Amino acid sequence: MSKEAQLSIAERDFILEALRENVRLDGRQPDDYRALNISFGEEYGHVNLQLGKTNIIVRISSEVTKPREDRPFDGLFNINLELTAMGSPAWENGRTNDIEAYATNTLDRIIRHSNALDTESLCILKGVSCWSIRADVHVIDYDGNITDAACIAIMAGLQHFRRPDAVVRDGRVIVYGVEQRVPVALNITHKPLSVTFHTFNDSKHVVVDATLKEEQAAEGDLVIGINSAGDVCYLSKYAGAPADAMVIVNKTNVAWEKVKQINAAVEKVLQADLAKRAKIGMADESRAENDRLVQIE
Amino acid sequence: MRDRLQTRYQVQAQLRRPIKERPAHEKSQRETTLLLPTLRTLKKLPNFYLSIVNMVGPIASLSQLNRADGSASYKCPATGYSILGAVNAPIELPARRDALKPEEATVEVFVKPGTTTAGVGERHVEGILRSVLGKIVLGREKGFPRRGVVLTLAIVGGENVERGDSANLSQYLTILPALLHAGLLAMVSASVPLSMTFSATLLGVTKSGDIVRDLSPTAAKAAVSLHVFAVSSKNHLLLNESEGRFDFDTWELVRERALSVCQGETAASADGDVTMGEGTASASLNGFIRETVEDQVYSDYAFKLDSI
Amino acid sequence: MSAPLVLLPSDEVPQDHLPTNNSNPLRLGPGLRILSQPSSKGSSHVLTATQAGLLTTDAKRNTVSLLSFPNRRYIPTVNDFVIAQIHHSSVDFFHCMVTPHTAHALLGQLSFEGASKKTRPMLKQGELVYARVQSVGVGAGAEVELTCVNPATGKADGGLGPLTGGMVFDVSTGMAARLIRASSSSAEHTDAIEGLVVLSELGKKLESLGGFEIAVGRNGKVWVDCSNAAESAVKVTVAVGRCLQETDQQNLHPHDQKKLVTKILRDMKLVS
Repeated sequence: MSKEAQLSIAERDFILEALRENVRLDGRQPDDYRALNISFGEEYGHVNLQLGKTNIIVRISSEVTKPREDRPFDGLFNINLELTAMGSPAWENGRTNDIEAYATNTLDRIIRHSNALDTESLCILKGVSCWSIRADVHVIDYDGNITDAACIAIMAGLQHFRRPDAVVRDGRVIVYGVEQRVPVALNITHKPLSVTFHTFNDSKHVVVDATLKEEQAAEGDLVIGINSAGDVCYLSKYAGAPADAMVIVNKTNVAWEKVKQINAAVEKVLQADLAKRAKIGMADESRAENDRLVQIE
Repeated sequence: MRDRLQTRYQVQAQLRRPIKERPAHEKSQRETTLLLPTLRTLKKLPNFYLSIVNMVGPIASLSQLNRADGSASYKCPATGYSILGAVNAPIELPARRDALKPEEATVEVFVKPGTTTAGVGERHVEGILRSVLGKIVLGREKGFPRRGVVLTLAIVGGENVERGDSANLSQYLTILPALLHAGLLAMVSASVPLSMTFSATLLGVTKSGDIVRDLSPTAAKAAVSLHVFAVSSKNHLLLNESEGRFDFDTWELVRERALSVCQGETAASADGDVTMGEGTASASLNGFIRETVEDQVYSDYAFKLDSI
Repeated sequence: MSAPLVLLPSDEVPQDHLPTNNSNPLRLGPGLRILSQPSSKGSSHVLTATQAGLLTTDAKRNTVSLLSFPNRRYIPTVNDFVIAQIHHSSVDFFHCMVTPHTAHALLGQLSFEGASKKTRPMLKQGELVYARVQSVGVGAGAEVELTCVNPATGKADGGLGPLTGGMVFDVSTGMAARLIRASSSSAEHTDAIEGLVVLSELGKKLESLGGFEIAVGRNGKVWVDCSNAAESAVKVTVAVGRCLQETDQQNLHPHDQKKLVTKILRDMKLVS
């Protein structure tokens, strides 16, 4: 039961027919994303993301560990995506499926292999100790396009996360608690995001951010990993009819625009959250004093 | 009749507002902010409101997910854990056909930790959850025999549960009540037939012999013994997990405390008056579970209640 | 009418909430069960809830039932209308999917109006039928049987049979039940329309474009067809689907449903 229930003939035919008239089931234009909503949890690096009805939680965590023998100057960074029956009844708990493998691979290629998180900055003491950063992706509601949703959430999480401060003194590593020293932000080199398109009707119609039903009716997908500066770090099209080169160029431009918009939106939420935290932090310090003020009034 | 309903609504909203901070992905639109303005007039800082939320009891809501047949979130501010639960039922379990009982439903539980890979601790706690929930699921009702009730719980907030150190008391006891509540509420949300509801509490005995409720993971480490009790809506003791050094007298005291935490002082006179959500009963955990469910029913059937 | 009452599993149904009409035997809907309690005067019976929900009674038909959460999974019940999808066929049966990830329901190859060995419909995988639940069997592992004829008349009453063309939209099972109850009640009973005005509003506004046809399955599927609407058929179908889904997801008030219809029709450029 690791497969979603198949689309009925009526649904498939209708989706394809509607696309010929440039109509999508939710009234979007081909190059429109669904409503994107990002919020942060109490802990650093806890991101709640909704893209339409797809709903994802990402949590970033860190621990001190030993670096790999062949990379003594590098820290570790892993993306962990495990699909559970929470996201869709089609996914069985404790079993991997195709979507999981495919999404993990794409996320690895876009975020890890493009070195979006500078792993060298995670080194504490050469060959002895380093930070291991881990991104856990929980897909809690699945309605298509988990790659883009997870990618945005992981990048937002990495920017939001703060790891404890650590120093080397006399050859020994000292990790300071969050109360002792202000925790440190991660070193992000660039902000690549994935933009997934799906192709229909012999690649004549290409839409971005497909819903589950659109994905099921599609011939194939086109994934573009690109950052705000316009550097393409990943491009794949595994299935479906061949697409015209101009389509790829056009869609890459669309993807660039989307990435700039999304990164700007993430930045805005991030700044608002950090400002709120700073305010609460200051408020906590002056709470006692403030209580007294109220009494005097 | 309409008037009476409206008043009840408002009373509930007022009573409950400080502990109800619904997550953004909550579907329901019905929300009143009765207490917020009054708080602002106190000229205190905005996080004054937050600190109230942290001091007071748990926060829960139902049915926020689309794909799952039922779902619930449960947050316990005292221990810091936040759990999301989803239930799919009744569904086919093709890979486990041999393990299915022919006459009733099979309950499956999966616990997914927030920032690590699931390990022995998760498997252990899954076993406890399966046995408690399995006891109350009516697996012979229509549509359920030979089918699966799949419960998935994700730990979406709070510290990681430590593992591997046998010197500590099992850290899993601290998270067990939150997992049980999220699981139960998700089952209710999926309309899985149940014989009863329950609530669970974590109690610890400190070095000085005090019985403390809802210990944080750090406080739990210092405790002499830890106990988790689940008490049903009909006053049955459904679960007793105890660890550490304690004698029978202590256990008896802890049990009495657990009964009063779960059922409230008035519970002994359970005279079947189920409509009264307010008053002393709401201070108990079983009362809290009831109010959470009632809230969701009222908001889902607002169209029906409006027309009465 | 007494005050609305929400029950949780193991709660007893109070005596004063039961219908007092004694001409028919009392009938229990889903979510309730009868338990006998031994007492000093022999045994007495109590009704208890097995699910959480709102207690509703129908004095005329002497029924009492529990309205449980609308997003639950559909469980086949005799006489319900469902939209089933053909999965595969065998010698005597079509094996159909009623809800995803559950056992297939059986639909006899001859359970169609006027079907014989020669004239029976040849349905392919993925085609849809509007069917009625004929039996759900007794005991464990029993199969659900569907039919596309009314056994009493041998006719395809209520539009039973294959659904060709059009589009299916997923809604919650609660919404599907509301749509069915609303359509079966007469328009004069304003309280019986279940707070749903979205369909009548759509019907009024889309009449000039040729109107639309709709079939509601209790398994949370709504089939919409607008083949009369000619060139705007696709847009009308999408508009109807979106209105239904948004009303469902946001649990809209009748007033907001009207606003939604106006907004979506303008959005789709169907009305100016």
